[in-house]
Amino acid sequence: MAGNPPPDEVLGIEDLHVTVHDGAATAIRGVSLSVRTGEIVGLVGESGSGKTLTCRAALGVIPASCAISQGTISFGRQDVTDLSRRGWERLHGTGMGAVFQDPASYLNPNLTVGSQLAEVLRVKQRMPRRQAHRTSIELFTAVGLHGPERVFHQIPAELSGGMLQRVMIAIAISCGPRLLIADEATTALDVTIQAEIIELLRDLRDQRGLAVLFVSHDLAVIRELCDRVVVFYAGEVVESGSVEEIIERPSHPYTQALLRVASVGDYGRRELQVIPGQPPRVGAEITGCRFAARCPAAIAACRSGPVDLTMLAHGHDARCVRASDPELAAITAAAPADGLVAPDAELAVR
Amino acid sequence: MSERDRRTLTGSGSVLRLPSARIAVVIVAIVVVLAIFGSALAPQNPLAINASALFQGPSPHHLLGTDYLGRDVLSRLMAGTRLSVLTAFEAVGIGLVLGGPLGIATVFLGKWFDFGANRVADALMTLPYIFFAVAVTAALGNGLVQAMFAVGILLAPGFFRVTRAATLEYARAQYVEAAELLGASKLHVIRVHVVRKVLPNLAVMTATATAGALLAVSFLTFLGIGVQPPAPTWGGVLSSDLDYLNLSPWAPFIPGVLIAITVGALNTLADAFRDRTGPGTLTVADPVIKTHSTLTLEAADGRQPAA
Amino acid sequence: MAVAELTSAAGSIAPRRRRAWAAVSRIGGGLAILIPILLLSSLITYSLGALSNSNPAATILGQDAATPAAVAKLDKALGLDKPLLVQYWDWLTQAVQGHLGTSYFTQIPVSQSIAQRLPVDLSIAILAVILAVLTGGTAGTVAAIRRGGWVDRAVTLVCSAVSTLPAFVVGIILVVLFAVVWRVLPANGYVGPSGGIVPWLQHIILPSLALSLQVSADIARQLRTSLVSVLEQDYIVGARVRGLPYRRILVRHALRNASGPALTILGNDFPIMLAGAVAAEAVFSLPGLGQLLLESAQTRDIPVVQGVLLVVSTFVIVINLVVNTTLNLLYRSSDGVSA
Repeated sequence: MAGNPPPDEVLGIEDLHVTVHDGAATAIRGVSLSVRTGEIVGLVGESGSGKTLTCRAALGVIPASCAISQGTISFGRQDVTDLSRRGWERLHGTGMGAVFQDPASYLNPNLTVGSQLAEVLRVKQRMPRRQAHRTSIELFTAVGLHGPERVFHQIPAELSGGMLQRVMIAIAISCGPRLLIADEATTALDVTIQAEIIELLRDLRDQRGLAVLFVSHDLAVIRELCDRVVVFYAGEVVESGSVEEIIERPSHPYTQALLRVASVGDYGRRELQVIPGQPPRVGAEITGCRFAARCPAAIAACRSGPVDLTMLAHGHDARCVRASDPELAAITAAAPADGLVAPDAELAVR
Repeated sequence: MSERDRRTLTGSGSVLRLPSARIAVVIVAIVVVLAIFGSALAPQNPLAINASALFQGPSPHHLLGTDYLGRDVLSRLMAGTRLSVLTAFEAVGIGLVLGGPLGIATVFLGKWFDFGANRVADALMTLPYIFFAVAVTAALGNGLVQAMFAVGILLAPGFFRVTRAATLEYARAQYVEAAELLGASKLHVIRVHVVRKVLPNLAVMTATATAGALLAVSFLTFLGIGVQPPAPTWGGVLSSDLDYLNLSPWAPFIPGVLIAITVGALNTLADAFRDRTGPGTLTVADPVIKTHSTLTLEAADGRQPAA
Repeated sequence: MAVAELTSAAGSIAPRRRRAWAAVSRIGGGLAILIPILLLSSLITYSLGALSNSNPAATILGQDAATPAAVAKLDKALGLDKPLLVQYWDWLTQAVQGHLGTSYFTQIPVSQSIAQRLPVDLSIAILAVILAVLTGGTAGTVAAIRRGGWVDRAVTLVCSAVSTLPAFVVGIILVVLFAVVWRVLPANGYVGPSGGIVPWLQHIILPSLALSLQVSADIARQLRTSLVSVLEQDYIVGARVRGLPYRRILVRHALRNASGPALTILGNDFPIMLAGAVAAEAVFSLPGLGQLLLESAQTRDIPVVQGVLLVVSTFVIVINLVVNTTLNLLYRSSDGVSA
């Protein structure tokens, strides 16, 4: 808005390249994205598209066999690409927090959830025991847990998935981070709980100005929750923009196919939809557009050389040679939806 | 066992492809030959006392030197091999004969029998073997044979568990039911199928048990049980070396290394057998005389030993 | 689910109480199995006396005085004319009260002889356990943290080598090195702590070391395996992204969950340590229970033999119980054991 300075960038990823298998393959190529204070950015794509690895890189917890070969990651104004272990220890919790898909496996099964939250408070904020206990109860209440006193003394095995996810969120925000990274946080939950968690995340954003990087393959959830969307395919960003732009004016054939398959937006349909073909192998070297093999609108120019992001409207980019072509939408809409091989079952209509 | 060794062993082919296993087999073979031919192969008379040649170091005449009575150490050790090895086999044999068939039978003899047999096995395994063996000599006389009989009894639970586990797996297999339906008697089923399944695990247990029994023999003779001087035994030589440490400090290393190498060779063989059959097949066998706890690693995953 | 929450007015105590009960019943179950085992092993040891075909009454009286009448009279006095099971029961009930009978020959109560020698073995055993846990634990942890590095390979190699060395061989090596060649520590004898802490430690350090080596190697190996597996678990990543310091994660989360199997190994190896104690007593000339057993076995002093065996079996069972209880305390959830 005019007159207000733009909100600070909390997370900035610039031209990120990540290699896997000890450098044998490049899984992420030239990914750039940013998250600002109070913004909820969605990362969407199939399994293996690189969205989880990007999150892990942003968190500084990529597996030992992976490495950042190029690019920078910055948190606030700090370059964290080569941050030391101590540096990450300081940043984690107080700067950024994370929740993952299966909360039960990210908690110590032999300790009560309450003690694990209190531990973070005592260690990171040097709270005395009693205060940590009280604050834990407050946090549990804030994330919508019923009977927080009782939950405090329960071990993960005694709690349901939805409750555990709330616990994880409580732990993640306990030290007031500016950024929350949620990697498939609602995927394993049933629909009603999913809605509650989404509502919770929205409240946290509204009350605390929390920035959220929300990874999912579920476009419906993304549409519900996010302000901006970044679409991943085969290790690249193929489209990014505000959620309205992406839903109403998708400009990349893959995004269009995704929407159709998910029956979101204009493409609402009832039959089972698939995108024909398979995504390329991780790290495969492909000349030209990485989606060309499955794209119904591919032309010669798509395969000739690397495809850069085309800026369409303000804040809306797409990596497609024909991004501005008005006929693109018609071609992809008419494309047959019964491929030989179904990609991930996740993309089937819900 | 290193990862590289493990990879060499998976798949078909003889255990002997592994270099460490080959060395182990050679060592065991030498020991067995010594056991059979013992004194005959020894260069000197193991009992010949020579007062003028006490505590000599290694020399061409006495390859491993002489002891406190001037006797040739090498000959004494070679002669002592027979007693040690034979009594070790006695113990393993008793354990095998007592425990093995009982383990197979217990699967077919009903819940109460099984429960009782398991409790007896547990009880036996809580008794440290050395205490039990010595106590038995109090009852039955101070002889090595009696002591190793006790060791044999304590080895039995190990065999019992191995055969029982293998039989359980087998007895519940579908094709056993099918075979029975087709009219094969239980005995036939046992003979044909169970035995074939049990043999590899039994090989492992036998190797481990022999290692343990050999160790037990050395220990018992070291403590003075069943040693009728001047007859030589490995443990006895070690024990007398201990008395004269000031005069000949390095002497005990010889029998010590001998014992360690033989036991180590047997354990390596056991490892090789085990990796050949696959780690999953031996989850409940706890060797009583633990010289080498690789078998217990599978058993020790926090669960109680299988009832 | 929400309704259940609201109606459980017990509040925060309920889950803890429930888990505590589960743990107690598990321990109780373990105990229920161990008690019959203890009884069974004590029966076995008692029967050994009955197996003995030497006539203790005759032995006590001596050749000349052993007339049939005198033997019968002594038999009755010693209670040897009653059926075996009755004798066993009498003995057991007496033993529970601390009366283990009297030596046939020295007339010293067995419990007294045992009590005299127990401190020796206890000193060695406790120090050995401490040494084993410290060295084995450290070696295993370091090997797991620096997995694949030279430390890891060195530890694995040393463990395999040490594993094959029985306690009496190790004891002899230690005596040779430290007492004879280097002359820094005494070669034999025992001095209780009342004779000074330093001499006491000097006398027990070598025997304890001999005992602990094998167990230490077993612990190191098992801990390494468990820890490597635990460190790959997701909850370690979870702890990292919470910003917890590495050392704290290692100890409070990783080691805590990984030490279960190693603890079980410690319990399983306890009988080995006892055998090692006998070896140590022989090598270092310590006046312990092992020596008592050997001497009384030679003279066929049955009450002493039975007494020592009962005490030893009880110790093994007690250690088993302690290990069991600790495991139950460490692992609150039944699937929490990560192997």
